[in-house]
Amino acid sequence: MSEAAITESKVLDALRSVMDPDLRRDIVSLNFIRNMKIEGGTVSFDVNLTTPACPVKDRLREQSRQAVLDRVPGVKDVRVNMTAEVRRPPAPETGRIRGVKNIIAVGSGKGGVGKSTVAANIAASLARSGAKVGLLDADIYGPSIPIMMRSKDEPEIKDQVIQPVNAHGVKLMSMGYLSGEMPLIWRGPMAHKALQQSLLGVNWGELDYLVVDLPPGTGDVHLTLVQTVPVTGAVIVSTPQDVGLQISMKTLRMFQQTKVPLLGIIENMSYYVCPHCGGRDEIFGHGGAALAAESLGVPFLGEIPLDPAIRKHSDAGMPVVLAEPESASARALAELTGKLAQQVSIQAFRSVPLTIVEE
Amino acid sequence: MLTAPEERATPAEIRKKSGESITIRWVDGHTSTFAARYLRGRCPCAQCVSETSGERLVSEEHIRPDIALEAARTVGNYALHFSFSDGHTTGIYSFDYLRRICPCEECA
Repeated sequence: MSEAAITESKVLDALRSVMDPDLRRDIVSLNFIRNMKIEGGTVSFDVNLTTPACPVKDRLREQSRQAVLDRVPGVKDVRVNMTAEVRRPPAPETGRIRGVKNIIAVGSGKGGVGKSTVAANIAASLARSGAKVGLLDADIYGPSIPIMMRSKDEPEIKDQVIQPVNAHGVKLMSMGYLSGEMPLIWRGPMAHKALQQSLLGVNWGELDYLVVDLPPGTGDVHLTLVQTVPVTGAVIVSTPQDVGLQISMKTLRMFQQTKVPLLGIIENMSYYVCPHCGGRDEIFGHGGAALAAESLGVPFLGEIPLDPAIRKHSDAGMPVVLAEPESASARALAELTGKLAQQVSIQAFRSVPLTIVEE
Repeated sequence: MLTAPEERATPAEIRKKSGESITIRWVDGHTSTFAARYLRGRCPCAQCVSETSGERLVSEEHIRPDIALEAARTVGNYALHFSFSDGHTTGIYSFDYLRRICPCEECA
């Protein structure tokens, strides 16, 4: 067959056989294919994914390459360039933070499950994959993110707008900044105002993801968040024991009641690997979160070991995914962040735009 | 993942007809039209429903017939907020609640 027979439509037809496993549609109808060039027997194009943290990126690249090689006669070489553009879910315009595409709430049933550590690592991991990320520490009872992200700076205020602090490529704001050294002894209405200011009064700029670290449990801050901005979805962090005690379930139901989609459950402190003998000890039991997720029909995003390195790097101000990206714990965190980003993409495709049409 | 009961209380389209009414078409295909006075008389806020007994304190017969729906906006993903011409603005009507109080003959 002559080289002239290679056409754009033949290549697109071949690529229709490649499915995005999460969105369950082929990559052509999802409009992922960009910048196609055909030069002689060489075909090149971009595959524009919905998140740079996509865990199936390499698989899609290989499938795309193979599909064109196998199905389009005359093709000798295929160059696939993987790009990403985070899509914004169609949510109401009112109350939206301008420039912020997705808001991910990180909650837990009780304190001490490592929620803030997980939130900091998710934010850092998303940023490391190339996404534009903000992190809002809304844990009024114990704002700890500034320590974990080693940001000693206080945010500047320009024209009454708070400028977030840059920490490891993540734009950071903490409700702790609003009170300085004083403890946050706030009644509901004060917490409400402070959170609104931290969401809407901050110059976030363009963000693919804004990760919000919530206080443990359910309360004023949670309600203000879901009433002030359209939250793309929520993640629940729990320990195996916590799920056994059904505490996380309350937080989960709160999100369900306020129509915040559940992006998944993460089991933290899942097991302990002894540094001396290498033996694995399941201190708090194991697998509770996966079982709970299954029975609720919520994605289980992964388990994180109880690893002294995670704590050590958090205390030193650099999330383990940046400090020791090749460690087992960092890989577990990066992998679950990828799954989380997939769930956000699915949500963005699934949600129906919610606006009030005035007649 | 939308299960059947969630679909019932998920709006596909919301239309506001001047000050008169709000019409919601739900994902399951059902349509509900709420007149301003009907909604004002079923406000779920703590001033209209006793917080301790759950007893309704302000109901439809307390509301003037020419009440108007001045503004409506969405609350996060889960509810609507209305401003009425009598100055009342404290009710947050979740979509679950709105579907439960659908005034159509089929639902009533």
